[in-house]
Amino acid sequence: MTNSIHEIRDADCIFITGSNTAESHPVISYEVIRAVRRGAHVIIIDPRRIPLVEHATLFLQIKPGTDIYVFLAIMHTIIREGWADEAFIVERTEGYADFKVDLERYTPEYASLVSGVPVEQIEAAARIYALGGRKSGQSCYDDSHGHSMILYAMGITQRSNGTDMVMTLANLAMLCGQIGKPSTGVNPLRGQSNVQGACDVGCLVDVFPGYQRVTNATSRNALAQAWGVETLPGEVGLTIVEAMRAVSDGSVRAVYVMGENPMMSDPNTNHVEQALRGLDLLIVQDIFPSETAHLAHVILPAVSSLEKDGTITNTERRVQVIQPVLPAQGNAWTDWQIISELAIRFDKQTGRERNQGYWQYNSAKAIFEELSGVTPIYGGMNYSRLSGEGLQWPCPDAEHPGTPILHVGKFSRGLGKFNPVVAHDPAEQPDEEYPLILTTGRVLYHYHTGTMTRRSEPLAWREPRGYIEINAEDAAHVNLKDGHAVVVTSRRGSIRTRAKISENVPAGTVFLAFHWREAPANMLTQDFALDPIAKIPEYKVCAVRLDNPRA
Amino acid sequence: MLNIVIDGQPIEVQPGTTIMEASRANGIDIPYLCYHPDLSISGGCRLCMVEIEGRADPVPSCGQACQDKMVIHTQSKQLSQLRREIIDLFLADHPLDCVICEKAGSCLLQKYAYEYGLTKTSHKFNVSRSLYQDDNPFFVRDHKYCILCSRCVRACSEIVGADAIEIVGRGFESHVATPFDGPMIDSTCVFCGSCVQVCPTAALMPVSRAGKGREWEMERIETICGYCGVGCKIEYALKDGEICYAQGVSEQSVNGDFLCTKGRYGWDFATNPDRLANPMIRRDIAYQLGLTDEPWELPEISPLKVRQPKIGDSFIETDWDTALNLVAERMKDIVQTHGPNAVMGLASARCTNEENYLFQKFIRAGIGTNNVDHCARL
Repeated sequence: MTNSIHEIRDADCIFITGSNTAESHPVISYEVIRAVRRGAHVIIIDPRRIPLVEHATLFLQIKPGTDIYVFLAIMHTIIREGWADEAFIVERTEGYADFKVDLERYTPEYASLVSGVPVEQIEAAARIYALGGRKSGQSCYDDSHGHSMILYAMGITQRSNGTDMVMTLANLAMLCGQIGKPSTGVNPLRGQSNVQGACDVGCLVDVFPGYQRVTNATSRNALAQAWGVETLPGEVGLTIVEAMRAVSDGSVRAVYVMGENPMMSDPNTNHVEQALRGLDLLIVQDIFPSETAHLAHVILPAVSSLEKDGTITNTERRVQVIQPVLPAQGNAWTDWQIISELAIRFDKQTGRERNQGYWQYNSAKAIFEELSGVTPIYGGMNYSRLSGEGLQWPCPDAEHPGTPILHVGKFSRGLGKFNPVVAHDPAEQPDEEYPLILTTGRVLYHYHTGTMTRRSEPLAWREPRGYIEINAEDAAHVNLKDGHAVVVTSRRGSIRTRAKISENVPAGTVFLAFHWREAPANMLTQDFALDPIAKIPEYKVCAVRLDNPRA
Repeated sequence: MLNIVIDGQPIEVQPGTTIMEASRANGIDIPYLCYHPDLSISGGCRLCMVEIEGRADPVPSCGQACQDKMVIHTQSKQLSQLRREIIDLFLADHPLDCVICEKAGSCLLQKYAYEYGLTKTSHKFNVSRSLYQDDNPFFVRDHKYCILCSRCVRACSEIVGADAIEIVGRGFESHVATPFDGPMIDSTCVFCGSCVQVCPTAALMPVSRAGKGREWEMERIETICGYCGVGCKIEYALKDGEICYAQGVSEQSVNGDFLCTKGRYGWDFATNPDRLANPMIRRDIAYQLGLTDEPWELPEISPLKVRQPKIGDSFIETDWDTALNLVAERMKDIVQTHGPNAVMGLASARCTNEENYLFQKFIRAGIGTNNVDHCARL
């Protein structure tokens, strides 16, 4: 997030898109509710009638994958009506002239035709967002116009044009000067406890800790020196989905999985399974025998987040300390102990000589001390400073108070750049054989691949079984009633689940959560068209067919 | 800014600040039952009455905005008497079960009865509510302890936005209810337990703590939730090393008193018997290594097609040395034959910064490849 969670309650307008906030980030939805109770407007752009819609001023129910047209039309309207923040554009940005020209063809009428959203709604959303309008009550801020905040999640990014989508939201915020101030900004809601931190500390194919490019010789040499190695690889690595392809063609032979379950979470499960079975070595380090663990050669038992100490970084870049609440189960080790012991043995096997104790740390704290030394955005952090409420990065030195709001006064690259974006449609479109669009996500009571929540008694009691949400109109075509068994088929595979007839999805769209091993949604999702830059799969749109097994 | 005086202490406050807020910010305790800093003002309990010089009658401090030059007294003989009478009335309708009650020690009514020296009511004792609803595995609703402060109703509406409950009925009939007093699951409840956390008495209690111990016996540990990326601070209350319940932490947290259903109730996975307790080697590899006499082959059927696959059917348990040496040796063979780029490391968005840092360091500086990714995209 460019801004902080507690600023949401003070926003005048909250623009939510591609995020089912109340189910995937409930505590952030509480902030939205507080804002609504104080009179803020909420605009929701989503294919599904998500629970927060009930509290929204405007709900733009788009056909899956057409949101890009709506965003572009919103910006078109803002420019046409003179609602853009010209002063901000002149002072803080570049590339506006070219960007503006590209927008001319994306009229609300065109967007309406493609997305199914009425023109008036698009124009109203443009006005409310740009000017930060309120429903009632007084703004917390005394600027010339209200403060609008964009919240988004995987509905925007898990798309074959995910990078374009995020750039579009950034363009929108810059166009209206809704960035670099409290209760504004472009705010991705991250789905896992430490997904932000895992990125920050370099678990990405193209960057070292602190987002320093692997292709940059200076940062490579500096890190090599800090780590006491001669060289570091300078070639960008393979992302998850690319690696699965590389396994199939034999170029990747060993996969070391720490706390992930690609058999449930990666697109096109049949292909994933085939790839994993073909490996010479699959190591799974986990807390439960996951679906992936069943295919491993070796399983290494780890402790859960309730049994360890260390730090994790939340969606607003806040680094916080965790404490062990329970003792380790059985002979499980912390993940860092396992990695450290494995690294020592690997060096021994390969005859690599290093300084005594190179891979040995006596605590998570000792690792953090090294980490903060090579991760500039964490440079000023240590465990004693992190106790209490933690610190938000960038925090480059010991006196730095942390950064609750990014891009205040100046963007990290200097001037904010408008990146012209052209609308692209999702890679797989419905056709006669596969007439419906499947979109995937989470439900409130479960988390990701369900390894933890499905083993929690109260949560499993509330939501014991999977289902597919189907509009009554689509259900009628195959003569399905609520609770009936249904077979869902895509070009990749087929699953059987229960039908839940629901007005939450429009006709033509079905929704499936990916928590259910009995009906794994990713059996159906596609892995052929990734976003060209982020290499993210398009979980949010693929074409499927429903069959009634009774028919 | 406004200048006021509370109990002789000069205080400067922003316009719009209530007397309750000004007092709390300056360490002056005013008793209350229905007030909650995150919720709207109810003004129903009348326990927070204070005296303002120049006014004939005491006023509730929670709902009274400070005015310039106000002189306020939070303690006096008259106020004590007034508060005793209010507590006396609450006790007329509230069982004095403190000896067995699990809320004892953190119950607000008990706290004030103690502070104002009441052991029982002077009125006719008559508990008007008797409904007991244990219709879900998250929390129990025991209406006889309810004091109708409406904190639960306000939290459900103003914070969570679920609007699952409301106060219905009149007089002694009034109680907190779902539509038609139906089971919680049939309401719009999202089982976040915010109502349980803000309840000042034992009317709403977590199921998980029943019979597990008293408040003062519990060890309390604060950590950050392991589910989504919001990073809520959670306090776990434990007895004999076992978690009894979890709750939000008001201070220095992104969440305050509030959590979602997964954070507040979804921690029992940790002690599920399925937890992996020992390193394991797949049976075919174990056979090759002579660790078992039985030959075995990985079944062709997908683990997803097996209803409840047992890990023990495919793996044997081993010790750490055997498992790690095996991994290191095989990894070396692969790196030496096919090069470091034949290895892929998948780190975890559910592990700590330290673990992920060490993981990528091992993949980069140990193995020698940038093939390190995690589920940020998934």
